[in-house]
Amino acid sequence: MLGKPEWFGPRKYTGWGATPRTWQGWVYVLVAVAPLALFGALPLSGSTKPILMGIWAAIFIVDFIDIILRMQRDERERLHEAIAERNALWVIIVVLAVGIAYQAAQSSVLGKPRIDPIILIAVIAGVIVKAVTNIYLDSRD
Amino acid sequence: MRTHIEFFRKKLGLTQEELARRVNVARQTIISLEQGKYNPSLYLAFAVTKTLKKRYIEDLFELE
Repeated sequence: MLGKPEWFGPRKYTGWGATPRTWQGWVYVLVAVAPLALFGALPLSGSTKPILMGIWAAIFIVDFIDIILRMQRDERERLHEAIAERNALWVIIVVLAVGIAYQAAQSSVLGKPRIDPIILIAVIAGVIVKAVTNIYLDSRD
Repeated sequence: MRTHIEFFRKKLGLTQEELARRVNVARQTIISLEQGKYNPSLYLAFAVTKTLKKRYIEDLFELE
């Protein structure tokens, strides 16, 4: 692929993803982002511009995901990441649950059932992933 | 847990960075091990023991 995991470190304090750790990482980010601005400025017709930008962005998004997946973490870093991700997940679940409860209360007051399906799908998807992960881990160890 | 990693590491003339590279962990992990702040897996404990040329894990790690 285009970028190397050694150029980046995991993002720990500002969300998810990776942040450049070496000058090569910063060059990678520049090469990924700068042409998008350039494509925007080019006098291209109709759908050519968004298609070009879309293809360029897709290449780097896929490559960046590959970089994140290949990033090396030792056992301590993996443990810290697992704990931090677990805590973040609990907060997200609580907020989603509050959101669902609020929408349910609001819709019962208004007499019109309306709960955002995306929130429900997110919670259900999370439950499924957790179950599958535990099944896999139990069978492995 | 108390460790004697720093003592034996310096005895061998290794920096934290070098030891980290040899056992394939981050330098911060070696720092945490030396300060007794992180309890390693058995695998890592054995790897550090072998790298520092000690025979027994107990030579490096002491349960408090």
